[in-house]
Amino acid sequence: MSDLVSKRTAGAAAALTVVWIVVGLLAPDSWPGVLLSIAASPNTHTATLRLAVPIALAAIGGIFAEKSGVINIGIEGLLIVSGFSSIVATYWLGSGSTTLGLSNHWWGLVVGVLISVLFALLFAVVCIEFKADQIIAGLAVWLIALGLAPFVSRIVFGSPNATTMGTFKPVTVPVLSEIPILGYLLFDTPPQVYLMLFGAVAGWYLLFRTSFGRWVVASGENPKALDTAGVDVRKVRYAAVLLSGVFAGLGGAGFALGQLGTFAGGGQTDIAGRGFIAIATYLLANYHPIGALLGSFLFAGLNSMQNGLQAAGYAIPTELIRTIPYATVIVVLVFVGRTRLPEAAGEDYESGED
Amino acid sequence: MRDRLAEVLDRLVGASALERVLISVAALFAAVLVGGVLVFVSGGFATCRTGLDLAGWTFCYNPMQVYYELFLGALGHPLEGGWQLTNFGLATTLQRTTLLIFAGLSVAVAFRAGLLNIGTQGQLVVGGLATAVTVVYAAAIVPGGFIGTVVLIPLGVFAGAVVGGFYGAIPGVLKAYGDANEVITTIMLNFVATGVTATILSWQFQDPNSNNPQTRPVPEYAEIPNLPLIGFSGRMDFSLLALAFAVALMIGIAWLFARTSFGYELRTSGLQPEAAAYGGVDERRMTVASMTLSGALGGIGGAFWVLMVHGRWLENVPSLGFDGIAVSVLAGNSPVGVGAAAFLFGVLQSGSRSIGTGTDVPPELVGILSGLIILFVAMPEFFRMLGLRFRPAGTSQPARADGGEGGDVDE
Repeated sequence: MSDLVSKRTAGAAAALTVVWIVVGLLAPDSWPGVLLSIAASPNTHTATLRLAVPIALAAIGGIFAEKSGVINIGIEGLLIVSGFSSIVATYWLGSGSTTLGLSNHWWGLVVGVLISVLFALLFAVVCIEFKADQIIAGLAVWLIALGLAPFVSRIVFGSPNATTMGTFKPVTVPVLSEIPILGYLLFDTPPQVYLMLFGAVAGWYLLFRTSFGRWVVASGENPKALDTAGVDVRKVRYAAVLLSGVFAGLGGAGFALGQLGTFAGGGQTDIAGRGFIAIATYLLANYHPIGALLGSFLFAGLNSMQNGLQAAGYAIPTELIRTIPYATVIVVLVFVGRTRLPEAAGEDYESGED
Repeated sequence: MRDRLAEVLDRLVGASALERVLISVAALFAAVLVGGVLVFVSGGFATCRTGLDLAGWTFCYNPMQVYYELFLGALGHPLEGGWQLTNFGLATTLQRTTLLIFAGLSVAVAFRAGLLNIGTQGQLVVGGLATAVTVVYAAAIVPGGFIGTVVLIPLGVFAGAVVGGFYGAIPGVLKAYGDANEVITTIMLNFVATGVTATILSWQFQDPNSNNPQTRPVPEYAEIPNLPLIGFSGRMDFSLLALAFAVALMIGIAWLFARTSFGYELRTSGLQPEAAAYGGVDERRMTVASMTLSGALGGIGGAFWVLMVHGRWLENVPSLGFDGIAVSVLAGNSPVGVGAAAFLFGVLQSGSRSIGTGTDVPPELVGILSGLIILFVAMPEFFRMLGLRFRPAGTSQPARADGGEGGDVDE
């Protein structure tokens, strides 16, 4: 991919955007005008932030795993198990009440993250200890999660879909929430959005400003050098994969408890490929946590605009509109296809010492 | 990525056939074992009148009973009285086997070329719709009866193969010319396929006599016919002819791999892309060609799902394509192995029905089992380590040397 092509692409995209805005302002009843009013509506913005949660957090988690040399394609499965188990835990504890002084929704989040980490540990053991093929093991994690969610759901709720319970309430920061635009976006929003924003900054700091971050990068680029320097490559990879479980767990549980309030386990479940979109997102962001956050806004924004179009009552086939984020992933992959993977990604590393 | 895949393929294909079979069987047993524990434990959380009481906790599910229903129910309970060979359970098993052979071959062809086609599901969905629509419309101009059967079925299967092949070619082209990872693009294309087919259906082809999202039925003579006398009855939605075709196709693919230059080039570009390129194989064209073939096989799967099972296309397509991944992985991507693995998964899927009727255990168990089987097949090292640990004591060779035997395979 030459710079010229990407510059041209960016230029064309910018030009199209300008045309769209101009036409939209001049003719508010035309298609561009309707789209513009949806894109400019605060509802779309807040929905974008909330829909970005699973994608952004899963992507940041995936960055750590892949940077360390373990391609975690099972991140979709982690989102599924964390989202579903957080709902089950909240249901068991009783939605709306508190346990040990903490709201049961928060306990649900904790359980969701723990289950996700448990699955990440399983994946790590399989890949690192037993040298499984990472892609196939990741697919297995996804398929197991796809079966497990409706299986457990039938036992607990008597149906593949969980019963509905409340979502997190938005947390309003006094004074700051009065700021125009930024106020309703950042200071009057449910807790999982704060988690996402904090997670992106934390992920960036961890990866680029700590020695652990340097080990993760070295473990994926040149594990032998890291080994020679006296750092245990296996431990670094375990830590990175478990960390991807933490992030994906926060994303899945935050999404289920803060946005869905329930979990449909049938078919592709309520996660519906967001884990795979997350993978495309971090490839697009070239493994940068903040970039992954911004990239997730692209896919979440498409999703919320599609919801806006449906809500506006336009007679467009909803099924077709629903495919737009997925189609966008494909387009994005074609343009960032030549993202350089870490040198040792996908390979198991064996220390020469034993 | 390419190097890595080659290495993986080396590892999988390089293992001797016997070792592969052993690993697959071991993976199957391990998955059944883990699944059994899961069933037992989850029974502790279910509610029931009678169960096994242990330390004040009631366990509702009996794994032995579940597996009895699963494996014997799929054959129509041969150990119980009044058993007939042409029973409904076995018909369902063989019906699923037939469809899974197509799906498994689709995944295996791509895998052999070094590509992971997760998109068989989408290719099967679009192919199936193409089949249904083509046959419904062609039936208006083709005479009925025997001529209709002979013309419409091949036409329908051909339409499914062409459209499925085209849909498979898309990720092939994106991979070859845009370097877009085929795992992600094919998964995304599955979602796109669901949306696009649903739109096309409601736009043009919805059955006006039904509220279900489905096409109009194909005429009865365009469904895959049953064999007289020895076949299963028509109400069981299974035809031995279809199974025979699937087996023939399987042999054909095996022959393609083993005996043709295309098959040779396909396998080399999967195993050693550099060597293949050096030998004059156009890597890009091979990527597109193998994905097209893979998609066409998925499309044929969709065609048989339409023409054998429902006689129409329904929006709610079963996850045959995903199961095809499990079939191919379990088979070690060998076409003949696909036949055996497809039968096993046919048993699992048919058995999930008898789990649903004979026990209270959710039939989704079968999905978990498929995932577990893939997981265990993906880690042959696990079984080697297990084997080393439980080797009879007193072997004269040091463990290290013995472990090195598999070394060329797993490194």
